[in-house]
Amino acid sequence: MAGRRIVITSGKGGVGKTTTTANLGAALAKRGYKVVLVDTDIGLRNLDLVLGVEKRIVFDLVEVVEGRCQVRQALIRDKRFTSLHLLPAAQTRDKTAVSEAQMDALIGELAEEADFVLIDCPAGIEHGFRNAVAGAREGIVVTTPEVSAIRDADRVVGKLKERGLPHTLIVNRIRPEMVASGEMMTVDDVRDVLRTEILGIIPDDEEVIDTTNRGEPLVLDPNQRLAPIYLKIARRLEGEKIPLTRLESQTFLTKLFSIWKAG
Amino acid sequence: MEAIETEITAPVPEAPVGDQPVAPLGRAIVITSGKGGVGKTTTTANVGAALAALGKRVVLVDADVGLRNLDIVLGLEARVKYHVLDVIENKAELDDALVRDKNVDSLYLLAAAQTREKEDVSTEAMIGLIEQLRARFEFVLIDCPAGIETGFRNAIAGAGHAIVVCTPEVSAVRDADRVVGLLPHDWKPELVVNRLRPALVRKGKMLSVEDVDAILRLPLLGVIPDEPGIIIATNKGRPIALDEHSPVGAAYRQIASRLAGNDVPPPTVKVAEPGFFSKFGSLFGGR
Repeated sequence: MAGRRIVITSGKGGVGKTTTTANLGAALAKRGYKVVLVDTDIGLRNLDLVLGVEKRIVFDLVEVVEGRCQVRQALIRDKRFTSLHLLPAAQTRDKTAVSEAQMDALIGELAEEADFVLIDCPAGIEHGFRNAVAGAREGIVVTTPEVSAIRDADRVVGKLKERGLPHTLIVNRIRPEMVASGEMMTVDDVRDVLRTEILGIIPDDEEVIDTTNRGEPLVLDPNQRLAPIYLKIARRLEGEKIPLTRLESQTFLTKLFSIWKAG
Repeated sequence: MEAIETEITAPVPEAPVGDQPVAPLGRAIVITSGKGGVGKTTTTANVGAALAALGKRVVLVDADVGLRNLDIVLGLEARVKYHVLDVIENKAELDDALVRDKNVDSLYLLAAAQTREKEDVSTEAMIGLIEQLRARFEFVLIDCPAGIETGFRNAIAGAGHAIVVCTPEVSAVRDADRVVGLLPHDWKPELVVNRLRPALVRKGKMLSVEDVDAILRLPLLGVIPDEPGIIIATNKGRPIALDEHSPVGAAYRQIASRLAGNDVPPPTVKVAEPGFFSKFGSLFGGR
């Protein structure tokens, strides 16, 4: 049976698409699945950095599509999880180097060998977005609890609906203390606007910057407080019913429980 | 909506006519980054507000067709009636499309179309529009979309100068480096390092301004500290540059003052020892 083809998208940039792709991919690999991560941000690739494999790139997605190498030659196997692979984007080409039909065929080929193909979408809703979505059969929309990110996510949700792609939502970078003090939107607010099922809620954590700079997905380190959260999201993606993570903050504990009650 | 009609059509500074001395054209500056979410829109809104607070005539142009946000950051989303494409396609007069800011009198917004595509704008039309705006405003700040596709090319087409916004993260620096390479070769883009957390830099968990500078080698226009207040200000639609007590606001006012031609001392930052990220230098060979 062919693997699942999931695009990770957002509209707005910088909300955590690449970080989510890397960590969710690592979590799925840790759970024993064969996973391929595809960086479709041609010209502005970054998934290789987040995984720490930037020096091991030999061939890229465009070269595969142009038939200049085999898919196998371009795939980089992660040293920590041998069932995790990256197909890197080309850095010196532009997004029009690949067509939607080519992307669909390529992702289809990858899904024959893998359980999960996670497609890291570029920011925006231009050619790069259309390509990334063309290869997918379902979507995960990443957003942060900010008005601008939600408006962009709403636009993207509309585009996924137009294409008939089923999709869920990850609300990233929640700061519980700001939610409690009324300075940040609640997850319920976000869900009400986007009317999309929530796959996961991820708190803001400054460690993400550091692990990203070092090229080590934080799922690898059990001491990272976000690691179990990504593992839970992975299990939900597999179809397990797990209640949403409650974010705890001692100062605002009581308020928080009321805020997260619905989750 | 009727009640705000007068606001929308409020008079805009006009180009000189007849035998009055012809004012020089304003400066068109694109705010760009490659990577999304590093603070282009926030920078555009705040530098614009700070310039206007200095008495400059400023227009902010949202070039992110389909994913506009500058109107939200300025708190003007309910007042947008026409957008860039309406003007380009002669469906609206420029005067009717310019939205006057609530907080600062000489600040105007020209919003992007939300339900159209970036490919709907031609590069020539964009160049013409920016030139028209330069005749009427001292500063035309263009908020560039993320990425390096059509939207990016249109945003830079009418500009003569670029501000590159970058956060101290390897991915943002790599994207910024790529964007600098795509700008016209005779430009001298200036750098704004955004969302710096000196405490993290000291712990060796964030790149320093020196680390960023070592890669990008651009003149430093400003350094903006990270502060939760910026999210609140963005959600409330009032630029933090207008908050006299905020250090972030102060950093934006310095940038504006420098752009206005004032002799402002270079940004000072407390930093850790550079060179912590030893792998950093090898990331940019590209292929």
